Amino acid sequence: MSKMASMFRPKKLDLSGFVNTRLIRDHNKRNAVEQTEPERQALRYLIRNTSLPQRVRAQAQLQLSQMHAYTRPTQIKNRCVASGTARAVFRDFRINRFQFRMQALAGELPGVKKASW
Amino acid sequence: MFSNPTRSLLGAGRRLRVPLSARWQSTTPVQPSAPSPSPAQETKTTSPAESVPIPEANAAKSTSERMGALDNNARLPRSVQAVYLRPLRRKAEHGLPVCDLQLRSYSVENVEFFADFAIRAAYYLNLPVSGPVPLPRIVERWTVPRSNFVHKKSQENFERITLRRLIQIKDGNPQSVQAWLAFLRKHAFYGVGMKANVWEHESLDVGKAMDQSATEIQKTLEPHLAQFGQREDNSAGNNMFDVLDSDRFAERKSARA
Amino acid sequence: MSQPRILELVKTQCRIFSLNFNPQRLRLGNKILRQRLRGPALAAWYPKKDVSFRDLQNTYKPLGLTTFDEAEDDREEAIQIAKLRGKGRPKKKRTAAESKSAKKKK
Repeated sequence: MSKMASMFRPKKLDLSGFVNTRLIRDHNKRNAVEQTEPERQALRYLIRNTSLPQRVRAQAQLQLSQMHAYTRPTQIKNRCVASGTARAVFRDFRINRFQFRMQALAGELPGVKKASW
Repeated sequence: MFSNPTRSLLGAGRRLRVPLSARWQSTTPVQPSAPSPSPAQETKTTSPAESVPIPEANAAKSTSERMGALDNNARLPRSVQAVYLRPLRRKAEHGLPVCDLQLRSYSVENVEFFADFAIRAAYYLNLPVSGPVPLPRIVERWTVPRSNFVHKKSQENFERITLRRLIQIKDGNPQSVQAWLAFLRKHAFYGVGMKANVWEHESLDVGKAMDQSATEIQKTLEPHLAQFGQREDNSAGNNMFDVLDSDRFAERKSARA
Repeated sequence: MSQPRILELVKTQCRIFSLNFNPQRLRLGNKILRQRLRGPALAAWYPKKDVSFRDLQNTYKPLGLTTFDEAEDDREEAIQIAKLRGKGRPKKKRTAAESKSAKKKK
């Protein structure tokens, strides 16, 4: 089995908005996770099930560990949709803290205002 | 466009015909400055038009006169008059809650206006309504450094306040509740989100009805469930290696490689 | 109630509500089957591709219709002006010898 990351890359870019190599890579990982999630969960179930024979569980473990790294959900990192930054990204807006400030001051985020209390 | 009726509704003014006539006047080209529909201003704006003998003004005077006469003689339809009054309500007979509608918005005007609209719509659909109950506001706050990490001491606060209103329908016909919800969705107001919980009540012998419908449901579900669940002989469970080695797992792997 | 009777009760309960009957509390890994799939939510993080002006152009060009992309026109005009001023991009070096000579000139 080849371990090429390119097999998760779509032929044509299916993103709009800000695009960045690292952002595309993360997007590919997300797609890979989505595709292989049932398989991974099935293997995980086999591994956790103590009523199954030890050999089956060991083999499932092996298969899970041999799956491509891109199918691992822990590889996913939330990135800013507007700038591709991976730090200080607000989950509510999917935006980096700096982009958040700029957009909030420009009034592009509905309901967000400058606060003072 | 919507802000004017909103304000007049919120103000709950008892003036019935004045705002309408004022709006008509504001459309005539001679008097462009007639923004607020107050009776005092109306008299002020009409009196100079009578004294000035310019033909355009004359025309304007005649229209305003005509409108005035129409104002005095004819009355608005009752349903239109009711818009200027507090919304009418049906009385709940049993007080059994049927539907909870929650409205959410970031602006007071929008949510107030739409709550009023929903209550009026419920009246015409013969639905007893309680509310709008102002639920606690949801305040979300974020603090963001204004620039780089070095300048962490200078930060900025942002907040988003979500306002909520709860409208409860009591012992209404489920079909008319659905019609009400559909009507509100059709005339959804900008910047107002809606969330509805609907409860349906059944008679005591639900079990019988469910048993009767179960066979029909099974028939419709059969094609969907044919591929679902364990085999009866449970042949797959005994040999997990076969599944791991040669089933769809391997297929997918070969397809991907 | 006696112990076996209670067990029987729990067993029927599990059968009726399709739960897993597991009195020994073995680790059957059922919690993994109960988890919902997170994939669709994860994959929807970045905005999907939408229709751009170029897509419209590509669909209308074959039909013999003309389209105007002002931004593209501006860009091409700016490139033309830069070229006239001798500020255009340098020619692509195709061979190793060409790139070497360019370095030597420097």
